[in-house]
Amino acid sequence: MISPRFVRRLSRLLQYGLLSLFFAFVAMPMAVIVVFSFDANRFPSIPWGGFSLVWHEAAWADPMIREAFVNSIWVGLGTAVLSTAIGFAAAYIDFRHRFFGKRLFVFAVAIPPAVPTTILGMAMLAFVSRIGLSGRLETIVACHVAVASSFAMALIRLRLGEFGRDLEPAAWNLGASPWAGLRFVVLPFCRPALIAAFFLSAAVSFDEYMIAWFVGGVHETLPVRILNQLQGQVNPKINAIGAGVLAVSLVLVFLARRFTNLRPEPMHGPDLRGDSA
Amino acid sequence: MPPASPKPPIPDAFRPSASIYSGSPAAMPVALGLPVLAWQAVFFLAPLVFLVVITFWQVRSFRLEPAFVLDNWTRILWSTPFHRALGHTLQVAATTTVLALLLALPLAYTIAFRLSVRVRDLAVSLLAVPVFSSYMLRIYAWQVVLGADGIANAVLGAVGLPKLQLLGGAFSLQVGLLTLTLPVAVLILVFAMVGVDRTLIEAAENLGCRRAQVITRVLIPSIRPAIVLAGTTTFLLAFGDYVGPLFMTGSKPPTLSILLVDTVKSGSQWPRASVVGVSMLAILVLVFALGRLAGSVRIRRRAS
Repeated sequence: MISPRFVRRLSRLLQYGLLSLFFAFVAMPMAVIVVFSFDANRFPSIPWGGFSLVWHEAAWADPMIREAFVNSIWVGLGTAVLSTAIGFAAAYIDFRHRFFGKRLFVFAVAIPPAVPTTILGMAMLAFVSRIGLSGRLETIVACHVAVASSFAMALIRLRLGEFGRDLEPAAWNLGASPWAGLRFVVLPFCRPALIAAFFLSAAVSFDEYMIAWFVGGVHETLPVRILNQLQGQVNPKINAIGAGVLAVSLVLVFLARRFTNLRPEPMHGPDLRGDSA
Repeated sequence: MPPASPKPPIPDAFRPSASIYSGSPAAMPVALGLPVLAWQAVFFLAPLVFLVVITFWQVRSFRLEPAFVLDNWTRILWSTPFHRALGHTLQVAATTTVLALLLALPLAYTIAFRLSVRVRDLAVSLLAVPVFSSYMLRIYAWQVVLGADGIANAVLGAVGLPKLQLLGGAFSLQVGLLTLTLPVAVLILVFAMVGVDRTLIEAAENLGCRRAQVITRVLIPSIRPAIVLAGTTTFLLAFGDYVGPLFMTGSKPPTLSILLVDTVKSGSQWPRASVVGVSMLAILVLVFALGRLAGSVRIRRRAS
């Protein structure tokens, strides 16, 4: 006879077991890249060939990789600044104003990440080469902004949802112009979300390869360089570049996370946890 | 323009000046909105419209020329490689969607209901990292793990088991696509599950529901829109992915994304590649419409 207590224990064990496996599944690829970037062997496999910085040094000494890294930083910075500005403008308009076609307006900013980047990259290249803008770093920025603004808008709109609707009218009543209200009331309130949006847009740009690959022409960003290297011969430098890219991505995402309080929250009622099986 | 507020209207005498309220009320939204609209129009909407336009254009001696021909559409839509890629991609994306939902539901349940608030928040933070970092690198790492002389086979060899052909088939492709989609699906479901009104769950428990009944009769129905969202998002990501199929199966068989890139690369067949792209978008729109329908039909039935 199986007791309900045993069933409950087994169920819990399976749940925690599955969750541990899942986190191992998520973490493993990243761990593999970092660990083997310090491997002295040419081909990453077990057993480990001993600790070495040779591939990190080789990656850093490669002028193409250095150039791609610098390109990525400029593109990421440009995207972060512009996406945050556009994301803020879009989120504020959505928050404050009502007009015909507003849903369409918000949709145009929100939807780009839902279009597969393969199609988007190709469409962008077809169009920008028609208007004579292809093959420039600025164009990669412009195209990344079109995608990353969606995330910036989402973060800032979320923050504005906590903003008292009457605070701005109060400032206007006290004599502030709409622009002063925006500058001295709304912007300071949104600051954490603006910072989070900045870092998240930078992370999105720093990670993006299809659009950058199509639009960039001869200007390679770091992910594009990696993509091109992966399609060639086995190259032990890839782990070292990958470890660097991962480090930058992790820092950006963690910083973005630090400035958002987006967390799963119960609607109302007590948060039952550790209740019956 | 001030929004309607529940407060009594301010007497005119106390208004600093009418111009503060009305002083070019349209100026600010226009000044803020136009750049946004212009940017999205030039770098997002126009490219997509142009993509549709060039499906009717022609390539003459490697140059794209304006025209109105249906040749590209008929050539692609009636070609065997397109049919094969379409069938393969649909099947792969559907498989990923089913696998991701089957795995994400118990995972999200454990995170939402079995972890303390602190650990749950940490888990959510940790899951946000893979969503925004280097999918391509993680695919490459799976190549290193699953390859013929990779880590998995080295471990198998060490314990005396024969080598397995792990890379280059449906298994490795699903590993790659789940790397992309599973964290997203879990996150969507965790937020939905934590957001479920706890009084509903309590009520069901007080009425004598067992845990399994609470899950199937209360929890799952309350988060149906989130399940649909997680499913459609997973489908979309798997359907449009390029590097997963490229590195996990070596493009054999090609998916629609690979067909699209190959068509661009070989002989700059932009119009035909655009046909592939527009067809993919049409399929995704259809999937989203079906998803919405699936969500709303249930709600209506429950309401009646």
